[in-house]
Amino acid sequence: MPKRFILLLIPLVLLPSPLWATDLQGLVRKVEQQYMGLSSKSRMEMSVRSEHWQRSLMMDSWSLGREYFLIRIIAPPKERGVTTLKADKEVWNYLPKVDRVIKVPPSMMGGAWMGSHITNDDLVKANKIDEEYSFSLLEETAEHLLIECLPQPDAAVVWGKVIYEIRLPQEVPGRVTYFDEEMIKVRELIFDEVQKIDDRFIPLRMTIQPTDKPDESTVIRYSELKFNTGIDQSFFSLRNLKR
Amino acid sequence: MIMLLHLAARNLWRNRRRTLLTLSAMVVSLALLTLSLGVFSGMLVDILSSTTEQYHGHLVITAEGYLDDRDMYKNFSADPALFSRLQQDQAVRGLSPRIRGFGLVSYQESSYPAELLGVRPEMEKSVTNLQTQLIAGVFPTDEDTEGAVLGSGLAKKLGVSPGDELVFVTQSADGSIGNDLLIVRGIFRTGHSGHDNSLVLVPQQWLQQVMALEGKLHEIALSVQYPLQAAEDAQRIATLLPAGLTATDWGVLLPEMREAIASFDVSRFIFVIILYFATGLGILNTIFMSVMERTREFGILMALGMRPFQIRLTVLLECLLLGLIGTALGLILGLLLSSYMALVGIDLSSWITPITYAGGTIQPRLTAIFEQRNFIDPAYMLLLVALLAGLLPARRAARLQPVAAIRED
Repeated sequence: MPKRFILLLIPLVLLPSPLWATDLQGLVRKVEQQYMGLSSKSRMEMSVRSEHWQRSLMMDSWSLGREYFLIRIIAPPKERGVTTLKADKEVWNYLPKVDRVIKVPPSMMGGAWMGSHITNDDLVKANKIDEEYSFSLLEETAEHLLIECLPQPDAAVVWGKVIYEIRLPQEVPGRVTYFDEEMIKVRELIFDEVQKIDDRFIPLRMTIQPTDKPDESTVIRYSELKFNTGIDQSFFSLRNLKR
Repeated sequence: MIMLLHLAARNLWRNRRRTLLTLSAMVVSLALLTLSLGVFSGMLVDILSSTTEQYHGHLVITAEGYLDDRDMYKNFSADPALFSRLQQDQAVRGLSPRIRGFGLVSYQESSYPAELLGVRPEMEKSVTNLQTQLIAGVFPTDEDTEGAVLGSGLAKKLGVSPGDELVFVTQSADGSIGNDLLIVRGIFRTGHSGHDNSLVLVPQQWLQQVMALEGKLHEIALSVQYPLQAAEDAQRIATLLPAGLTATDWGVLLPEMREAIASFDVSRFIFVIILYFATGLGILNTIFMSVMERTREFGILMALGMRPFQIRLTVLLECLLLGLIGTALGLILGLLLSSYMALVGIDLSSWITPITYAGGTIQPRLTAIFEQRNFIDPAYMLLLVALLAGLLPARRAARLQPVAAIRED
């Protein structure tokens, strides 16, 4: 390599560079995956407060990587057994009352999931943030990092911008703010009640707060959470969905 | 004045043939005009009913704001007292309470978004005519607790035929996932792709249960005696409603149909003008001739002391008399022709097929309907035309110089 070229590189190396900026994508991915583990089994309670209803569901959930999960409602009795399976990019619902499995068609992906503020799209895409966005660091303090995520030009995403907060030093998500294509703030996800489970820091509670409806919210709280349960892909089948 | 009237009447009968000819022109033009306006209106009502009677009805009663976003929470309680009050209104012919839900209809592997209308079949039949547009199966009865009729496009996409079992999934009013089974009873085809591809009629109680909206309605659809006057009916019916409910007529629900009918009204107006222009020229001709013939006579009358304005009045009175007689006879003939067309009509189905226009269907038949303004407007206009046609000859007669006039041959 010619000497001159090496000389050119020197200023670059000497530039003060934040530790994280080198691999924000890797960091976000790590934070997101921490949640999932290789596989997991959990019990959670979802409370939904909206203009027209207030409801609370107990659910059991199993996941494998990011591509598979299965959530089954266990209470209240009226909805017991209603099960959602997400496999790759598809979402299926099992309805025990009519004993049918129904695939959510593309036109309904924007619809609410189980009457909450989560959409079917969120189930499919939310945890893919590190793949479809590009990142830049907005702020760095001892307590947190603020990362601006802008969709990559060809990504099929529903958000115009996401601001992702990572809390330090545990490296857990804090407050994630979503903006629509007009850059208007649409909703916030707030993670808290961080606990250490199986050597990981996990926020046990997630609150979804739609910006235009301050009186509404969905809160999901884990009451049990286990990682690496040894579950395999065959568990996430349509047959098991109906069980 | 009475003398002038006498004079005018006698003048009219002096040249009987000419008067009768003019009269017949007036009578025929008025009669044909009322007839063709009646047929026009018949076509309008045909096209209007074909659109309104496959879905909306002529009038719909909803909670305020419901029509804007069809928010399922903008509902109201089914109140039998309100139903009977509405049914007692003079214009109301039929009434159908409905609840509406949007969700997913699914059969085996395929699912499609659909609009469900929860109806009571017998009442629904009094407002819409979907039961006449079935291409397969039957229309459910009131006793059927899970029978559905759906549009042909949706049925084809799902691959269902009568007897098959459908699942409907929706977000219920309490936030839970509402879901239940339906049995396909019939399939309709309206020709309106929106309805054919997404509309499903289901039992009302069934849908109320699925949506967790027991006893609630989203609308009451009405059919009225004279659909073209539905806007006036809506105003009157609005006064029968409890606070929070409004009545909306088809003109608001189907703006494109209102446009179509407005354009029909314009062409009707142009038609009237053209026909009356010709008739007016005929009258002008007759009166002019008779004034010219009577130049000497007018001269003598003036020499005897008749004032010019009296001469003018005489000529105008002649026109008015002619107009009155023509209008009366024309109306009688018009009524006779219209009643023939209303009762018998002309069937064109061997020559042409139904035509779709502005979302409605024009049937291949000519039939007339009676509408007050189709008679009153042309009659007034004929009188006006007769008077206008008389103005020029009257002026001429009034300006005659007695001496010169008497000398004329």
